[in-house]
Amino acid sequence: MNWSLFFGELVSGLTLGSIYALIALGYTMVYGILKLLNFAHGDVYMVGAFVGFFVLQWLGGALSPAVTGWLVVAIMFVVGMLACGLLGVGIERFAYRPLRNAPRIAPLISALGVSIFLQNSALLLWGPQFRSYDTFDLVGVKSYHIGNNFFISNLQILTIAVSIGLTIVLALVVSRTRTGKAMRATSFDRDAAEMMGISIDRVISFTFFLGSALAAAGGIMFGLVFGQIFSLMGFTAGLKGFTAAVVGGIGSIPGAVLGGFLIGLTEAFATGYLPGGSVYANLYVFALLIGMFLIRPSGLLGSPVIQKV
Amino acid sequence: MKKLVVAASLAALMAVLATAAWGSTRGSNKVAAPANAGSQLVKCGKTRSIGLMAPFTGPAASIGINQVHWANFYKNSYNRTHKTKIKFVNEDTMLGSANGTAEAVKGAQALGSNSAVLGAVGPAGSNEVKATTGALKGAGLGFVSGSATNTQITLDGTRTGYFFRTVPPDSSQSKSVSAYITGKLKLKNVYIVDDQEAYSTGLADEVQAQLKAKGVTVGRDGVSQQQSDFTAIINKIPRSAQLVYLPWQLPPKGQAFGQQMKGLGRGSTKLMGSDGLFDPLFSKLGSNVYDSFFPVNPSDKRVAAFKKIHKGTELFGAPSYVATQVVAGAIDRACKNGTASRAEVRAQLKKTNIPASTSLLGLPVQFNKNGDMVKKPFGIYHSVKGVFVRVA
Repeated sequence: MNWSLFFGELVSGLTLGSIYALIALGYTMVYGILKLLNFAHGDVYMVGAFVGFFVLQWLGGALSPAVTGWLVVAIMFVVGMLACGLLGVGIERFAYRPLRNAPRIAPLISALGVSIFLQNSALLLWGPQFRSYDTFDLVGVKSYHIGNNFFISNLQILTIAVSIGLTIVLALVVSRTRTGKAMRATSFDRDAAEMMGISIDRVISFTFFLGSALAAAGGIMFGLVFGQIFSLMGFTAGLKGFTAAVVGGIGSIPGAVLGGFLIGLTEAFATGYLPGGSVYANLYVFALLIGMFLIRPSGLLGSPVIQKV
Repeated sequence: MKKLVVAASLAALMAVLATAAWGSTRGSNKVAAPANAGSQLVKCGKTRSIGLMAPFTGPAASIGINQVHWANFYKNSYNRTHKTKIKFVNEDTMLGSANGTAEAVKGAQALGSNSAVLGAVGPAGSNEVKATTGALKGAGLGFVSGSATNTQITLDGTRTGYFFRTVPPDSSQSKSVSAYITGKLKLKNVYIVDDQEAYSTGLADEVQAQLKAKGVTVGRDGVSQQQSDFTAIINKIPRSAQLVYLPWQLPPKGQAFGQQMKGLGRGSTKLMGSDGLFDPLFSKLGSNVYDSFFPVNPSDKRVAAFKKIHKGTELFGAPSYVATQVVAGAIDRACKNGTASRAEVRAQLKKTNIPASTSLLGLPVQFNKNGDMVKKPFGIYHSVKGVFVRVA
């Protein structure tokens, strides 16, 4: 057994899975409340990565930041998450709210339209070229090793820790606050929640804010760990985040996180161990999705929906 | 039982998909040109149009723009010194973008249907050369690339008489690379990661075979050109590997690979790129970086003049200067009687003869029957303080 390879792929998978988990959370929350597959979510993640990049430039760039590197990273997260949170609220207000009582196919098409709109706007505004976060110059990447086999970098630790931290905060918001209670009530029965005096519009806007902010955090983490961002990065990442949400059980917050880690680990271990895995890792990821649909259609932690007749 | 059937179906599906994916990377596309392709005569006039296919935007824009700058550098000097003028009809191929070679094919079709265009410079990538052959050959256009190095694209007979290049083929590059790795660096353990494109796999195959023949232990893997996360594949590279060879086309990807190597504590492993990574994005990774590159005469006065205008040191596009010179020269000769056809321009391309004394490459530019230059050496470079310096 090559333990160095095993631990390496484990850390890579958890790092990648952390990012997918943050994207999946947005998908799952919106689906939980609105029963809408928000296909523009991957592109919000891309916008988040770009906002982080522009904040970095605004603060002097990686080579000569106006403040210390880690403070720059913190500001990138705060501004990126706020900006994308507001973008999410705007998308919901203008693209989905007018269609709330329309047949379910209408908001789905609208979501695809928003996705293409964001992608092409990014291409128009920022061009198709890659942008580098230059993380080495910004914070100095260090790798730690335990024995001869286990290596992990400070950015991988940061990514996994931030992802777990944000998930815990989200779980606390949903389970311990009045707004969270309103979100759960709306998810359970929207009409009944409205009759109890809950402002459905406000709850839905807040859900979009949270989901989009988490996607932005994922985009910035991607830029920090993997170095580069580009205008079309949201498509595949969004698809993987959606897959993670479905594998975990769409509508379930712990399921989204579990699905994210599962997809990340599948990708990393497929690359490390399976034939052609480094090139065709996505083949294995989406085979997992198909397998999950066939064996457990409601996902790992999802509950089957009972249809009333 | 039901789960067993599901699992068996999934395994079968994956096998079919993997076979299809494998098969899609094999095979060739033979393209026949109409008998009268490009025989229509057009008036040459005072201004002659040349198609310029390059990645103006997209992941390879950093090298593409450099090619465009060099091509324009030739155009401007030509227009200053000649009574006739040349102008470019630009087509952005977006090399390396998610659309694959679709943009290059669209551009080639546009050039083919523009009767004013008598010849073309580009495209940059070998895959693009393969993809655009049908459109360009069908329209009778001769085309000269300043960077497509895949060995087979001149040997497979598909585009003979239509395609020419001002860079040596990978068979030459692979010899220089393997000789440097074994002769100068004296390495015994090398890992090759290709990017699944025709250029990359072709070069990787050749370097792998030559290193193995010299007794070097060679590991091999591939990545997708769309990939940005290389950590999982870096984990697979044995720590005993002394050098990782990356025959890639996209400098930002090479930069990301090198940064992620450092992030995983592998910063001391040597990296060697091919001509596609001859870019500051790659050289700035550190002194562990090497690269192979086309022949260019760095002491030529035109190199200094170019650097003065563009404030840069990049020479990647220099062969595109020569490609433009070749096409413009062929059009001039074909236009001697005031009219020319694309077929006549192709015939003149074959007769190109730029002596070493006036060649930016520092060697004569003449083509053999396949469209390759007769003389074709490759240089090896080492990154010193972030800049590539020739070492062999």
